[in-house]
Amino acid sequence: MNKDSGKILVVEDLVKYYGTGENLVRAVDHTDLEIERGKFTAIVGRSGSGKSTLLHLIGGLDRPDEGKVWIEGKDIFALKDERLAEFRRKKIGFVFQDFNLIPSLNVWENIVLPLGLDNRKVKKEDVEEVLEKIGLTDKMKTMPNALSGGQKQRTAIARALVTRPAMILADEPTGNLDSQTELEVMSLLKSCVADMGQTLIMITHDEMIAQMADRMIEIEDGKAVNC
Amino acid sequence: MKMTTLVAYDNMKYYKSRNILIGIAIILTTMLLLVIPTVGRGMVDLQFAATNKIYPSWHALYRGVNEETVRGLSAHHDIAKYGLRSDAGYMSLEEASVAMMFVDQTGMELYHLKLTDGNLPRREDEIVVSAGILKELGQPGDIGDMITVPCQIFRNGELDLTEQKVFQICGFIEESDSNREQRAYTALVSEAFIKKEVPKEEISYRFLLQILDEGEPTTVGIEDRIQEIARQFQIPENEININTEYLAANYVDPVTIPVIVLIMLIIVIAGVITIYSIYYVSMNQRIQEFGKLKAIGATKRQIRQIVLREGLWVAAAAVPAGLLIGTLVSKTVIFLFICANDGRGGFMEEVKEAAQSGEVSLYYWWAYLLAIAVTLCTVYLSLVSPMRKAAKVSEVEAMRGQEMGKKTRSRRNGYEFITIGRLTRRNLMDNKKKSIITILAMAVTGVFLMVVATVLSCANPRESANSSLVGQYEISPVIEESNREHPERKWTEIQKDNPLTETLKQQIEELPGVKRVSAFTGLRVTSDIFIEDDINWINGIPEEYARELEKGIVKGKATYEELKSGDKVILAKAMQHWYPQLDVGSKLKLVVHDGDRRFEKEVEVAAIGDYGSGLTNYCYLIMAKEAADRLSEYHSESYFHVIADQDYDQTLFESLEQMVKDSGRIQMRTWKEEYETWSAGMVMTSGAAYAFLGILALISVMNLINTMINSVHVRKKELGMMQAIGMSDSQLMKMLQMEGLFYTAGTLLISVGFGSLAGYPVFLYSKAKGLFEITTYHYPAAAAVIVAVSLLMIQLLLAVGIGKSVRKDSLIERVRFSE
Repeated sequence: MNKDSGKILVVEDLVKYYGTGENLVRAVDHTDLEIERGKFTAIVGRSGSGKSTLLHLIGGLDRPDEGKVWIEGKDIFALKDERLAEFRRKKIGFVFQDFNLIPSLNVWENIVLPLGLDNRKVKKEDVEEVLEKIGLTDKMKTMPNALSGGQKQRTAIARALVTRPAMILADEPTGNLDSQTELEVMSLLKSCVADMGQTLIMITHDEMIAQMADRMIEIEDGKAVNC
Repeated sequence: MKMTTLVAYDNMKYYKSRNILIGIAIILTTMLLLVIPTVGRGMVDLQFAATNKIYPSWHALYRGVNEETVRGLSAHHDIAKYGLRSDAGYMSLEEASVAMMFVDQTGMELYHLKLTDGNLPRREDEIVVSAGILKELGQPGDIGDMITVPCQIFRNGELDLTEQKVFQICGFIEESDSNREQRAYTALVSEAFIKKEVPKEEISYRFLLQILDEGEPTTVGIEDRIQEIARQFQIPENEININTEYLAANYVDPVTIPVIVLIMLIIVIAGVITIYSIYYVSMNQRIQEFGKLKAIGATKRQIRQIVLREGLWVAAAAVPAGLLIGTLVSKTVIFLFICANDGRGGFMEEVKEAAQSGEVSLYYWWAYLLAIAVTLCTVYLSLVSPMRKAAKVSEVEAMRGQEMGKKTRSRRNGYEFITIGRLTRRNLMDNKKKSIITILAMAVTGVFLMVVATVLSCANPRESANSSLVGQYEISPVIEESNREHPERKWTEIQKDNPLTETLKQQIEELPGVKRVSAFTGLRVTSDIFIEDDINWINGIPEEYARELEKGIVKGKATYEELKSGDKVILAKAMQHWYPQLDVGSKLKLVVHDGDRRFEKEVEVAAIGDYGSGLTNYCYLIMAKEAADRLSEYHSESYFHVIADQDYDQTLFESLEQMVKDSGRIQMRTWKEEYETWSAGMVMTSGAAYAFLGILALISVMNLINTMINSVHVRKKELGMMQAIGMSDSQLMKMLQMEGLFYTAGTLLISVGFGSLAGYPVFLYSKAKGLFEITTYHYPAAAAVIVAVSLLMIQLLLAVGIGKSVRKDSLIERVRFSE
């Protein structure tokens, strides 16, 4: 079944609660959302407003209590875990605040890991092109512990891009970086996404970064209040 | 509570899963440490209780002692108690066997013989009988009644012709079920009777004695004194009979203690390796914690105390559990042993009774104390190195979260592309030391298991039975050299009229199920080089055993063709025990006893061969049958070996038994009886050994569980990460299974590989020492397969279990997970 295949992402009446009784947290509370292909959307909101939970649900990292998420017209929660993992690695690239690189793999290996998990052949030129784009060609054999914060995040971006997913989900990707590096990383991310025609959804606290987006969505108490 | 104790207690609760594993290892260790000495001592005590009931209580007896020596011995200061026995002869009865002997009052006590009524005989015509004897004689009687007894008296070293003697019954002796079952009884006559019937110079006594046991003598000490007294009175060694069962039951055998200590040492080593390795593997994970403690002012000593006390907290919970389980297991093991041997009558009946009546207490306070002390030592030993390591943690390194002493690489060439296999390999290689320690800790038990399995698999009851009997049934003439009543039972007489005739052979061969009958020839020989009166036999083996003969040669060379000449023999290795001077090339001047004929024959030892008693039948000079036949004018077949289709066939057995009965002059042994005897012994031994090894293996499996749980725990976030970027659950499972497989394969390779290699020298040693009658090497394939399959199963289950527990947390929780 297709749901408005013109949109890359459709969120319909999404609900995710944690805890019970007095401890009930309405992390995502009946949220509807539509995002167009190729756009850069920033999700803003206060700490604890439910942004990250929403992003995780969109990315299929967690399952909702109610509601649906359609990516490229596919209801992702109709998929079983195994298929969902497959869908995720093909269609979605993740960039996390604390980079989440695999410490035992070098830069190159971290980047090609999603391809390996997808049993896809590694096209050396493609990876080299991505490395060049992020400016880490000379660091490809370096282990994560020897990289700076900015280099780590660039590696994480490369890893998200390498499978050429339709959508990049970034959870405060510059949260751990200084302001100089923050700008570098942001412009890199933006230009890469633009080059490849991908959709970027990013959570941020930073007003300035939010201003760089095509669209800004504000989340308050689990609801999208300003779409 | 002291701060260190409190922190240790909290740590124990916090690192629950790891401490549960250590707890299980401690429980199993404690249990084994309690079960081994309790069962060991319990079984020994039960057997001893039974021994004391069944076996006589003399320490030794000297045979062939004359009256004068009796007087000398009875005054010896080392002898606490003595009794006398002298054998008069046998009653001449067709079916039953009734020995007639004189036993004095102390002798009666030492033999546990009791009169149910009346007195011991004093006059030469007095006799003590039992109801069974009267029944066999077919004469009723009571005390004071006269009976007529047909008897054969020992004179001139043999049983004389039957005479009719009239006795007056003066008492009744106890008789047992086994007396009635076997129709074998003892009647008591007086010393006066013997003195009257047997020429004075021929009267000989058995001198039964108990050594004065001052202090705490060992079995060896008592045996030495028995030998010493015998030397003082010139009693030859072969006339000494030591009651080893009774001595073992009442005095400490110096060999027992080292064996138990050795077994307990093995348990301690397995425990130490396992607990140490569990700590080692999870230590790095806790370095930050110790660093923080140091940063806020904990001293090295306090850190050591925290680690030690955490271990002791676990032990405090695990040891009582281990003792409880150990108590139950000990009872069960002893109960199972008794059940397994139920219905074997006699000795086992007494053991069962001793266990059930509670006359032997199977709780030993010292075993509990020992188990507690040794377990605590084990825990302490395993903690020494972790304690030292924790105390050495540098605050700065720890706070930075670096692993102690681990060099962090900044560059690596790496793979061009990543697969699940490569991810696994990378993880294992990055934790090389951890992986190696886990594998080695498990492999130690594996190697030990394989070595013991080698010995047990070589101890094959089928082979032992094959070695002690050729074919399935063995038929031989009844030979009795010193019975004047039956002169026809002397071998030289049998040769003249041998019941093993060609007709009998054909009759047997015609029976359904019989493949063939192999006839072996026997010839009695004496020689100057043999000990005086030692009779040996030439063994004429038929050609169908030519290959076996040649295969068994251990020194020299001889073909079956050469043995046909009659001038060459193969000497069975067993004979070298008595005549070590005989070797390849030795020439033997033999006197062949063929019927009434005696003639000399010189043979040369062409080779030394190692053969089972089935093939030699204790006839150690081996020739080709045709050569042995040429030496005899008569039919000198000494054995018919019946080779049948099946190990045992009831119909065939009954037919053969009928033939034996009809002839009255032949007897039979069966392969089945031999097999049953051997296997009964082996079942218990291997059952106990494998159960012990199984528990030992279980202790070391705790290790594998810990390593895998730990490896997943420290990588929880990493694994979550991989799943976030698209690793599916099945890929995760595959990775965990591959890691487990690596440990399994490594353990198996070392256990089976090294264990098999180490098993061979141990087999050679056991063979040389005659352990379990081992003759042939057998690879313990079954054990290897069981070890492999169980390891694989455990590892697969573990991977599934761990995978499940990982997935219990949502992906988000895992990605966010940070220690």
